[in-house]
Amino acid sequence: MNTATTRRLWRTVVACLCLASLSAWSQESKTVLGPTNTDLHEGAEALLDGDAEEGVRKTLRGLTYAASQRDRIAGMSNLCAGYIMLGEPEKGLPYCNQALELNDRNWRALSNRALVYVKLGRLEEAEPDLQKAEEMAPNARTVKIVRSMLLDATNPVAPLVIIDDRRQAAEDDEQ
Amino acid sequence: MSNRYRVAMTVFVGLWVCSAMAQDDTKVEYLTGVEGERVPLHTVVPLYPEKARRARVEGEVEVCFKVNREGRTSRVGVRRSTNRAFEKPARDAIRASTYKPLSNDQKLSGIKTCRTFRFHLTPVAIEKPET
Repeated sequence: MNTATTRRLWRTVVACLCLASLSAWSQESKTVLGPTNTDLHEGAEALLDGDAEEGVRKTLRGLTYAASQRDRIAGMSNLCAGYIMLGEPEKGLPYCNQALELNDRNWRALSNRALVYVKLGRLEEAEPDLQKAEEMAPNARTVKIVRSMLLDATNPVAPLVIIDDRRQAAEDDEQ
Repeated sequence: MSNRYRVAMTVFVGLWVCSAMAQDDTKVEYLTGVEGERVPLHTVVPLYPEKARRARVEGEVEVCFKVNREGRTSRVGVRRSTNRAFEKPARDAIRASTYKPLSNDQKLSGIKTCRTFRFHLTPVAIEKPET
């Protein structure tokens, strides 16, 4: 896989993970009058827009007054994703760890941490997190992409296209 | 032009065009057609669908089509396929490919040309650098 494709893939994964956290957070906020933590909300939106610096900055600020555990988990998971976007997965890892200390069955945080491990080349550590994420969210696109990234790192493959011209159809024998 | 020379030229042109048109990381193999078929001029290699590559899916598509006197393809249809993900890249590749035009003394046959694309994934060995 070339560098541009890899970069696009990273962005897709991170954006999807942030989107998932944002949507979960928004559902909660529907029961009250608007977002309770605008910094966390805007931080997630900035990350979705690809503005990792702004996203991390606002999410860090939002975490200082995050009231609910759900907000803290979403914020820390997003921070983890933000640091991956910034190309600093080692900074993101503690936030993924903290999110999982609060809830070790948060599949987004698990998927994010697996992504961090893949990025850091700690492939054996990525496997259990990814397996758990797959059990909890077997159809999640982001989890599937992280799995493919792990596969690319452990068992890389190259496309091969064979063009076979050895057959000629009979006149009008199809369609 | 002798038949042997013609077949050799077909193989050479096919290999050269395929290697020129392939994606950066896509390997291409070309199995040449039987004698009497139209000679490929510009062969476009289909892109391996990224989604299929990520999911480690392989497949095969047979596409049949008409080739006019000028060597352009038309009435491109999938005759057989093992996975729909590969059909569009195969059709697009055929539409973008051309064949050598017929000379004035050659007759256009009503026979359709078929091409099979086999999409495979081959393991890549990576050597870790010494630390």
